[in-house]
Order: sequence, then C-alpha cells, then structure tokens
Amino acid sequence: MTAVSISKASKSFNQGKANQVDALSDVSLDVQNGEFVSLIGPSGCGKSTLLRLIANLLEPTAGEVVVNGKSAAQARLDQDYGMAFQQAGLFDWRTVRKNIELPLELKGWDKADRRTRAQEMLQLVQLPEFGDHYPWQLSGGMQQRIAIARALAAHPPLLLMDEPFGALDEMTREYMQGELLRICAATGTTVVFVTHSIPEAVYLSNRVVVMSPRPGRITKVVDVALGSERSEDTRNRSAFFESITAVREGLRGMHAAHVGLGNDDR
Amino acid sequence: MTSLLRRAAYRTGMFVAALALVVVVWETYKAFGPADGGKLFGARILPRTSEYAMPHVWDMFSRFGRPEVRGSDRTVFSAVLSGAWYSFRLSAAGFVMGSLLGVGLAMLMARFRFVQRGVLPYLVVSQTVPLIALAPLVVSWGGRLEVGPFTWPRWLSASVLGAFLAFFPIAVGTLRGLAAAPAASVELMQSYAASWGRTLLKLRFPTAVPYMVPAFRLGASASVIGVVVAEISTGLKGGIGRLIIEYAREATGDPAKVYTAIFGAAALGLTMAGVVIAVDVFVMRNRPKETVS
Repeated sequence: MTAVSISKASKSFNQGKANQVDALSDVSLDVQNGEFVSLIGPSGCGKSTLLRLIANLLEPTAGEVVVNGKSAAQARLDQDYGMAFQQAGLFDWRTVRKNIELPLELKGWDKADRRTRAQEMLQLVQLPEFGDHYPWQLSGGMQQRIAIARALAAHPPLLLMDEPFGALDEMTREYMQGELLRICAATGTTVVFVTHSIPEAVYLSNRVVVMSPRPGRITKVVDVALGSERSEDTRNRSAFFESITAVREGLRGMHAAHVGLGNDDR
Repeated sequence: MTSLLRRAAYRTGMFVAALALVVVVWETYKAFGPADGGKLFGARILPRTSEYAMPHVWDMFSRFGRPEVRGSDRTVFSAVLSGAWYSFRLSAAGFVMGSLLGVGLAMLMARFRFVQRGVLPYLVVSQTVPLIALAPLVVSWGGRLEVGPFTWPRWLSASVLGAFLAFFPIAVGTLRGLAAAPAASVELMQSYAASWGRTLLKLRFPTAVPYMVPAFRLGASASVIGVVVAEISTGLKGGIGRLIIEYAREATGDPAKVYTAIFGAAALGLTMAGVVIAVDVFVMRNRPKETVS
C-alpha cells in the first residue's frame, strides 16, 4: 500500500496578485509503506512546502494529496503522521516525559497509558533515565531524540521530518542518522525527510528526490542501492559514493541549466 | 539552593543599604543644608531644613508609636496599618478585576485580528484619561446602578478605578505573550489537529507566562495607585489615601505624621509587588534560568 500519494500537486502563494510565488508546480510522488524518501534541493525549491502539503499544514492550490489512503486533511485529524522540525521545539515548561506525552494527551489517552508509552519511547531513543529532566538540561542531540520520540509516541505509520539534524554538529549528526535508521527499522515507520545534505540523504534513504526551484518541481529521483542493512561502513562503500554522485549530478544539472553552463564546464 | 539563598540575602542587603543611604542623605542635608533652603533666581530649588519641612527620620518612626490624636488610645501605627489593610483589600479586588479584564481582552485580541485592530487603539486612549476626572463619574454611575438586591458599595468605585489602571499593562503584556509562540510549535499543535482552545491552554499560555509576569507586576502597583488616588478624589474613608490627606492637613502642627501614612502607602505597594514576585518565582521554578549559566 502507498503511504503517501501526491498527484499533480501545485502550490502558489499570493495567488493572482503581483507578488505570486509558485512554490510547487505539478509535482507527483508516491511513497510506499516502510520506505525512506528524502527531498533534497536548494533553498526555495519547495521541499518544505511539499512536506507541509503532506502534513496538511498547507492546502494544495491544485492537485491531490492522499495519505494512508485518505485525504491529507483526514489523515491529519486522525494523527496518521508525526512531525519533527529543525528546532526540536520541545516545551520548556514540561518535563521530557510530559513532552513525549503531549500528542497522547491531545488524543485523550488516560494517564497510566501515557506514562507507559512515554517510558517505551524513552527506551526506544535510549534516554530512559531522562524522563524527569527538563528539555533545557539536555544537549541538542538529546533534545532532537526526544522530539523524535514525541513524533512517534502515538505510533503513527508515517514520520515527516523537516531538516531535523540541520542544527547539529557533524559528529552528532552522523550518530543521529544511525539512530533514526535503527528506530525506523524497529517501528517499521515510513519517513519523508527534508534535508540540505547529500550524504545524509543518501545514507538514510531508499530514494532521494531531487528538486529544483522557480517553480519548485521534481527533476530527478535517485534509487539508492545500499540495501536495508546500513552501518558506519556503508559510508565507505562504492555504491554510497555512486549514489552521492548521482544526486550531485541531479542538483548540478539544474544549476548548470540555470546559469547556462554545460556539465563539464565548472 | 544555597546560591539562591545567597542571592536572596544579597538582594535584601542591598535593599536595606539603599534605604539606609536615603536616611543618611536626608539627615546630612538636614544637619548641614541652608536653613532657608537653596534659592536660584528667586525660586526655591532646595527645601528648608526646618522641623516643619524635614522632620527627623527617627521622629517619623517614633510618631508611629504615639496616639493618633491627643488623648486617643489608638496609635498612629494601628491607624496606618488598618488604613493600609483596607486599601490593600480594595487594590487586590481591583487587581483581580483588572487581571480578568486584561487577560480576557488579550485572549479575544489574540483570537480575532479584527478585535485587536478595533480595540487596541481604544485601550491606549483609555489610559490617557486622567484618573481624577474619571473618579467622580464612576462614583455617580455606580451610585445609580441597582441590580436586584445588589447596590453599588462606595468602596467598589475605588476598586474599579484600580482595575482601570491595572488592566492595561496586563492586556498588552498578555497579548504579546500569546503571540510569542514559535511558528514551529504552532505547526506542531496543528499537526496534532489541536483546537484553538487546546493550543491556547497547552502552548500559548505557557509561552506567555514570562511576558505576563512583569505585566502583572506593573498591574499590581498600578491598582494600588488607582485605589489610593480614587480614595483621595472620591473622599472614601478608611484607606491609606484618606489618611495621607488627613495627616497632610495637620503637617503644620505635626510634620512627622504625614510621613507615616506615606510609608504605609509604600509598604502597601511593595506588598502587592511582593505577592506577584512570589507567584512568579513559583510558576517559573522549572524554566531555564537565563541569569544562571
């Protein structure tokens, strides 16, 4: 079954006015259950807009977005997805445990069930002893792990992530990538992941969707042939570098087209 | 915890030192200043140092212990204390009314943009109306108000005027706070399909707390000022405002007396602010502390 199905979706801001911006034009994309798909591209290519269409935080100007076999709006009401942002966005006034419980509270779970699930999630992100800490007592990487725990607390089948590791240093970032893959494998969650980083996209994904700006559209989809078992060694494999090259060429191709240069001319 | 205690002790020490400095300056000027005050181009810019213009600090304090009027067994201290307590209750009532009104308005303004556009300018204008002009109006409106068994007590006018001064900083501060929630957090609540009310409760109000605390502190002292001014301008008996007026009339014969009432009013304002600070310390106990690193 397809987790996300986007057909001919467009999104314009300030439509019909002088300052109209076509953030997305005629985008179609299917994401299968259990798949990890990254959206990559330069600023303004509409990758965050596309993510927000899936999340139903924005409505498409044209086209259709289906999530989990229902309209994106219904999927949001049913909380069929969890979301994580670049800033962990934890609530300062809540303990780590209460932060993870937030989506469950809003779903009307009772207290005992919330506590049990929050402890499970803390185990999952390997921070079981930090439940009673406050977010500001944790490092950036730990905060982001709590944000992932919060996003997955209600066991949604789909996880939407908007540059979640963008604010972390390189070492923490690579560690978090490994953690994310482990968590997704353990829970069978489908992921749509927005990033600026080519190695990050390749390391994490089954497919990398390359996007280009003005208007935002999909220019290339790179299948990453690294299998499902990935470790730190994966980063040294030739298939890893081949995929990186493929994504880079996808990005450069559109860059060359924009500035009017050939591929060899750099 | 020890560092917290040490900080509290340090602050208390500084407060006492500042008070002592005022006393020293006062007494030094009284001892060495020109008896007839300082004049510049015929205008007196420094006060006279006589007993009538500047009583000794110890006279002011010893006045607390003596009878309010000759032959009475009621001391000035108990008169000032009961006046301050009366005004405190009126201010507290005004503060509560002002808080409800201010927070209510802020919620409406945060919810509906057109309310904010329409109401906010009037709130600003409302604060430019002098309280003295408003006081008799409120008294006369209130006097005509009769709903069933409810009749408007005279003290309520003073509380209403306290509320009138208190609600404005509270409304503005709360509005700013409610609008301060980060966009990503608002999106997060949206992604949970949380209603506006749930978002208000779980996100916007907690985010607003650091903005609301100083607003409430301003509101608390504003309600005291409103009540004291209202007592004076409506002639309400029983409060500290009335005592200031009464004692000031006796200043020629008993110059130290009026200062006791002024101290009472200052203590009243400090108490109100202190209550709000205590609440602040309590609600902010688990928040990141910017001053501690």
